[in-house]
Amino acid sequence: MNRPGPPTVLYLMGLAAQHATAATLRVLVQDPSGQPQPDAAVYAVPEQPIAPEPGMKATIDQVGRRFVPRVSVIQTGTSVTFPNSDNIRHSVYSFSPAKTFVLKIYSGVPASPVVFDKPGIVVMGCNIHDSMVAWVLVVDTPFFARTDGSGEAVLTNLPPGAYTLRAWSYTMRHEGAGERLQIRADANPPRLLHVEPDTPSPEDDVPMNESMEGMLH
Amino acid sequence: MRFNSLRTRLILFLVVLLGVVQITAFLLLNTATYNAARAKVEDELIVGEKIFARELRQNAERQVQAANVLASDFAFREAVATGDVATLASTLQNHGARIRAAALFLVDLNGRIIADSLADHGRQPVDFSQLLASARHGGTANAIMTFDDQALQFIAVPVRAPITIGWIMVGFAISTGDAQELHQLTGLNVSFAVESAGQWHMLASTLPAALLVALQGRLPAYAMATTMHVLEMPGGQHQIRIIAIGGSQGHRVVAVLQRPIADAMAGFSGLRLTLLILGLLTLALSIAGIVVIALGITRPLELLLVAVQRIRQGDYTASVDIHRSDEIGVLAQGLDHMRAGIAEREARILRLAYEDVLTQLPNRSQYSAQLARRIAAGGEQALAFAVFVLNLDRFKYVNDALGYGVGDHVLREVAQRLSALLTSSECVARLGGDEFAVLVGSQDARRASEVAVSIIKALEVPILYEGQPVDVGASIGIALFPQHAADAEGLMRNADIAMYAAKRTRSGFAIYDASFDTSRQEHLSMLGELRRAVEHGELQLVYQPKVELKSAATTAAEALIRWRHPERGMVPPALFIPFAEQTGYIKVLTRWVLGEAIRQCGAWRRGGLDIHVSVNLSARDLMNRELPEMIGQLLVQHDVPAQRLGLEITESGFMEDPVHAQNVLGRLSDMGLQLSIDDYGTGYSSLSYLMRLPVSELKIDRSFVSRISEDSKLSTIVRSTIELGHSLGLKVVAEGVEDARGFALLRELHCDSAQGYFMSPPLPAEDFRIWLQGGTTARHNSELSSVMACDQSDFSGTDEAVA
Repeated sequence: MNRPGPPTVLYLMGLAAQHATAATLRVLVQDPSGQPQPDAAVYAVPEQPIAPEPGMKATIDQVGRRFVPRVSVIQTGTSVTFPNSDNIRHSVYSFSPAKTFVLKIYSGVPASPVVFDKPGIVVMGCNIHDSMVAWVLVVDTPFFARTDGSGEAVLTNLPPGAYTLRAWSYTMRHEGAGERLQIRADANPPRLLHVEPDTPSPEDDVPMNESMEGMLH
Repeated sequence: MRFNSLRTRLILFLVVLLGVVQITAFLLLNTATYNAARAKVEDELIVGEKIFARELRQNAERQVQAANVLASDFAFREAVATGDVATLASTLQNHGARIRAAALFLVDLNGRIIADSLADHGRQPVDFSQLLASARHGGTANAIMTFDDQALQFIAVPVRAPITIGWIMVGFAISTGDAQELHQLTGLNVSFAVESAGQWHMLASTLPAALLVALQGRLPAYAMATTMHVLEMPGGQHQIRIIAIGGSQGHRVVAVLQRPIADAMAGFSGLRLTLLILGLLTLALSIAGIVVIALGITRPLELLLVAVQRIRQGDYTASVDIHRSDEIGVLAQGLDHMRAGIAEREARILRLAYEDVLTQLPNRSQYSAQLARRIAAGGEQALAFAVFVLNLDRFKYVNDALGYGVGDHVLREVAQRLSALLTSSECVARLGGDEFAVLVGSQDARRASEVAVSIIKALEVPILYEGQPVDVGASIGIALFPQHAADAEGLMRNADIAMYAAKRTRSGFAIYDASFDTSRQEHLSMLGELRRAVEHGELQLVYQPKVELKSAATTAAEALIRWRHPERGMVPPALFIPFAEQTGYIKVLTRWVLGEAIRQCGAWRRGGLDIHVSVNLSARDLMNRELPEMIGQLLVQHDVPAQRLGLEITESGFMEDPVHAQNVLGRLSDMGLQLSIDDYGTGYSSLSYLMRLPVSELKIDRSFVSRISEDSKLSTIVRSTIELGHSLGLKVVAEGVEDARGFALLRELHCDSAQGYFMSPPLPAEDFRIWLQGGTTARHNSELSSVMACDQSDFSGTDEAVA
């Protein structure tokens, strides 16, 4: 059920700010059926862009033929290292427009990290192991968080001001529509965000193993 | 012709029957073969369909793998990821060529075509939505779809980077190669066809072009697909199975599996040919066999028919010469037995018809036939011959007294003697009873007489029966041809008459004389005349005195009948008495004679003349049970004591029916009547039998008495007879005393009484009375001459038959 338009952002009472100039926002992410969504990215893009700090780094490991973590949220300009903790080789690639790259087959830590210099969704795979998939959401804000197992994320150190609050799940092929939000210094009610997974889920497309059961008709 | 038609029918029937059976069997076999072939083909098609499906699936799997390889190609994915249409198109062309795909499409996740491998973009867009839907569901999908009037097997595989970013649709052409491959696997002809708007378009096929065109024209509508069909194809029936394998946009793609039914029958066709040859061979052999058997049946039947026709024509000589062990043989044998039986019976019947069973002599029929032949021959060659009729004397007595066995023996012996006596040209026959006939080729009466004498001599020798002599004599009548009659009937009759004459006269034989025959000529009028004679008093009794020799007294007389015919004068008794006996009129005559004699006796008694009167009785009279009563009444009526009446019966009279005679005579004797044996010595009576009769008087026949004075042998016989009579207590009367010497001699011999012309001829009653009163013995009276004249003529043998 693809419903056009931005996702509904509910305004909820936040907890008291920890800092006089920085606020904290609790966000609960659910799917339309009310199921909490873990591993979802929650991020607030301030109206006044904040230049990224240089030297931001992230790591996406490859353990047991899996990307760890599967889903990452990074700020634009972050250098991501793809170490290979397996004793087999991998070859990480991405054809996503936000970042297209190929790490030729390697083991150990590659020589150079990959700098994600454009916001957007980057889907990465291993050219050797089709079942390996990892998502990286590149956002133009330092205020982002990932939901925990109960679908909750906490945005911290939010300076009061106007933001566009968004939520994204790897089940979505595109970023959701934002929700404008005024962060106050004192208290910001928790927000409930809904994400609507695409059907079929992009995750489902990923084969579980190399072999394929060909089906007729 | 009938046999031919029977044979033809038999052959035709069996041949047709056999043919029908053969053809039916062949047709049944054919049908069964056809059904089996159809079933086989059906099975093959069903199996073929399964193989086909599997093949299609495997094919699709291979293609999926090929497509997957393509979709997994990094460079390919890279190109796809670039999103440049021109690049994409060339990439698709390039990679499509690698896997020999007919067409490649890249579609986005929603099925929109992004790029294709085709040079020309002016085509109808392909609707992959369904394929995509099933691909989304199962990861990959394949479907046979129509594209550009072709059927392509489209494979949908995702393009992943690593999540699905789009789909490529790889279209593989369904080619003749695929069909060939299937054909090789299944042995079936495989055709692919697409239907659109009710029209079939053939895609690829293993069929030759001509059959393909035929199939196109005969394929049933798509709605009927997936069922079995039998199509009439050029060169025979084909069983087809239509399998829907896909289609899109109003087009339907089917695979047609087919096989000529004849192919499946190929295995049977050898068998069928063998059976056909076998059947024809059987038919031919059977026809030959049937013809042989039919000929075997009808040929002997024809022979049988010939035999039957021969038998029908009366030819029993040729035996039915068919020797077979089958039914025909049995029939032939039966026919032969029948033939032999008929022949035998016919011979026997013929023999019975012309031969006397007892004596084996020719019978009357044959004798008559021979007689007729002789007469016919005699007429031309003037051959004279004589017909003898021979009748045995006293044969009835032999039969009655000694039994039929003796009778038969006597007859056989007589036949034998006659046969032995006569030459082969002189035919002997038994006419019936004790009557025989002989045909003697004698020229005249003299020769005939000689033969007759020899016969009589031959028969004089007593016939022995179980050692006992049986004495039979014979009387022979002879008629000469052509003197006495010109035809067989006449000869026989005349011989018969002569024979009776011989019997009457005891002369042994007699040659026919016309005088014997008067009775015959006057036969018809005789009876009427006799009646008239009785009614009109033409009959008269005359009386011959019986003179006692000792005393010369006359106390008795014998009454004799005379017929004074108004026209013919005196008729001798020999002419009418036998006739009266034959016709039964003797009864009337006897009654008249008895009445007249008793009346006369009564009259004389009233006139003081006590005369004992004797009356002759015929043998026939002794049969009359009423005779004693009648006599009794007459005696009473005329007041005559029974003792005054005597009855004279000849020996043969007793012998006719001894039992009955004895009975009647017993009653008469009881009445007091005196009974005499007349004509004693002429018969062959057994004296012991006569002794049992209640007779009191014996009358010696005149044949002994008349010449007694001339023949010493006769006198000896007479003497012994007298002595015999006396010793039995009988009075003895001698008849026919003709002279004084005889009279004297009889007196010497102590004969009791005598009768004869020497004393007196028979006299009318009145004359008798006068004779008595004037009466001396042995005196001739001249006034009696008129009566005498008549008596002289029948002197030799009439009186004994006179009642």
